[in-house]
Amino acid sequence: MLDIYERAVKGPIMTEKDFDMKVFLPNLKEVVQKYNVRYEKDNPVPEDDAAADILFEAAVEFMARVGVYCQGTNRIMQFSEDEIRQVLSEAPGKCFPGEGKDAGELGLRKPDDPKLPWFHCGTGIAFSSESSMTNMVEGCASIAEINSISFPAIEYIRGLPSVGQTPAEFYAAIRTINIGMQAIQRAGRPGLPVLNLISTATTSQSAIAASAPQFGCRPTDGWLCGTVAEFKLNFGVMTKIAYLKSSGCLVGAETAPILGGFCGGPDGTAVASTAYIIMGLLVHNANYQLHFPVHFKFSCTTTRDVIWVNSVSAQAASRNIPMPVIWDPYCAAGPNTRMFMYETAAYLLSVVASGGPAFETSHPAKGVMVDGFTPMEAKWNVEMGKAASKMKRPQANELVKRLLEKYESDIDNPPRGNTYQECYDVTTGKPDESYVKLYNEVKEELVGMGIPLE
Amino acid sequence: MEKKEILENLTTAIIEGNKDMARENAQNALTAEIDPLEAVDQGLSKGMKVVGAQFESGECFLPELLMAADTFGTAMEIIKPTIEARQQQVNKEGTVLIATVKGDVHNIGKNIVGTVLKTNGFEVVDIGIDQSTLNIIEAAQKYNVDFIGLSSLMTTTMPNQKEIIEVLKEMGLREKFFVLVGGGPVTQKWADEIGADGYGDTAIDAVNVAKYLLTNNK
Repeated sequence: MLDIYERAVKGPIMTEKDFDMKVFLPNLKEVVQKYNVRYEKDNPVPEDDAAADILFEAAVEFMARVGVYCQGTNRIMQFSEDEIRQVLSEAPGKCFPGEGKDAGELGLRKPDDPKLPWFHCGTGIAFSSESSMTNMVEGCASIAEINSISFPAIEYIRGLPSVGQTPAEFYAAIRTINIGMQAIQRAGRPGLPVLNLISTATTSQSAIAASAPQFGCRPTDGWLCGTVAEFKLNFGVMTKIAYLKSSGCLVGAETAPILGGFCGGPDGTAVASTAYIIMGLLVHNANYQLHFPVHFKFSCTTTRDVIWVNSVSAQAASRNIPMPVIWDPYCAAGPNTRMFMYETAAYLLSVVASGGPAFETSHPAKGVMVDGFTPMEAKWNVEMGKAASKMKRPQANELVKRLLEKYESDIDNPPRGNTYQECYDVTTGKPDESYVKLYNEVKEELVGMGIPLE
Repeated sequence: MEKKEILENLTTAIIEGNKDMARENAQNALTAEIDPLEAVDQGLSKGMKVVGAQFESGECFLPELLMAADTFGTAMEIIKPTIEARQQQVNKEGTVLIATVKGDVHNIGKNIVGTVLKTNGFEVVDIGIDQSTLNIIEAAQKYNVDFIGLSSLMTTTMPNQKEIIEVLKEMGLREKFFVLVGGGPVTQKWADEIGADGYGDTAIDAVNVAKYLLTNNK
């Protein structure tokens, strides 16, 4: 990290606005034109290895032209193409999260690869009570296929809101770890890696403080280190990375290019998305990456254009960048809805067939609904992930097109669905009959479409 | 060059983000003694409205919106001195202070909302990210704004939106400003809970809510 820091204090100085307007925007436009990156609306999952490699070259040139803006010094951290290629050639392409029998190798996949992806289970963003959170983590950790897990964030600690940059945030972060670790032990998977540390600690000082081993985190867990869109880092994140690297912990780069934001349309977002995966290795020196290109207006990752971005950048990355990327879906529709199941199916067919090595279970309701996640969504993701690994890109393409026809007109006004309490028996931890019926109906429908669900 | 053509060229310059065209036609408007307010209203603002509508419908994206706003600024550099010399005032819908709350460094959503508000005739004072409660209130008073727009992208910073409303009440200033809230995890339910005046799911929602509040003086 000191090498990166040195670039942050020696690179060219400019205002953030000038970086956006005079560096990022024109270079992205030029690179898109030079490499002729073109959105294919009618092929959300294209099968074109040559185009994937061209997209990778475009991303390398873009990264070398633009660099990363340091908000702490108002300078640009720059990297030459040679340096970028050197880092990529030396990256291990795998890491080993978890402990004991729950440890595993989070590695790479290629497009059309029959190898199963790594299943990372998100457990919802926020819960209204600690007991709901415990039930959720335990329920998800009990799914045998799950390779790793996230802990949700706690919103209150002893009745006080967990506000960033306050002691309440620090105490809530510790409480998150306590509850989560107890829940995975109860599920009989004490070594299951947690790859979203520390969800409740949004500031680096709280994350670093709560990471002390006496509070329960282990070096084989993974800490998310975010970026600011687009292509910006602050000293808080850089300090957190320095701490984690020095402590031998796993670092996860967290990146989310915004389609419709500075990246422009799908063409520019595809270049930026691929370049972000390079950035994860180059700047964060990360062991893995949580990546989610997202639509600026609909705040989800399942629109036709974002699905294309995911597919082409997953293909470019899986063929050229040795980074274990966990692709992270956000659905527009809420839990216990037909649309959520269609969106998840389309997303996973796209990313898994395109060589995505890992995915997080999809977030219902754009990830903003309190208590808006249940183990049934996790189960659907696992079933679909397995099925998707049996599909080649041309098959996935046709199926994704048919699935899009079923839901894309409702993206603007998706069904809310139900909270955990509304569609589960919270005492027994089992879904109600109507959800099971819906689940089986949609599953049968998708089997009828040719998706090889078991 | 006729007045109609100059005004159309100003509109086109904004839509295309063509600064040279904007400069040339802003100068032409002054030479042809077109009322500068008409040049703004019937030329530049018309173009901004077109780009704003294209952005909302997904025909264009933030880069085009920013280029349009930048081009608008370029033309205004030429036209504004004449407006000031004549002691005229450009029509505006209202003034909005926007900020991302304390502890939150996300800025793209805020920037999009700010730009879309500008394209719809609002004056926008953007004081940036990670702004403390008192900074925001002080700036709202300093710029005498109609609205305080608060962005938050994290559940751990949303309580700071609530704090601002509470401190406004403590300082006896709550009735002076409309408070609008937005951001990824923010919902109408949250806005209602904390007593905000308005919530927008999208940038254009923010515009509509702001116009509604002004019109109905709510």
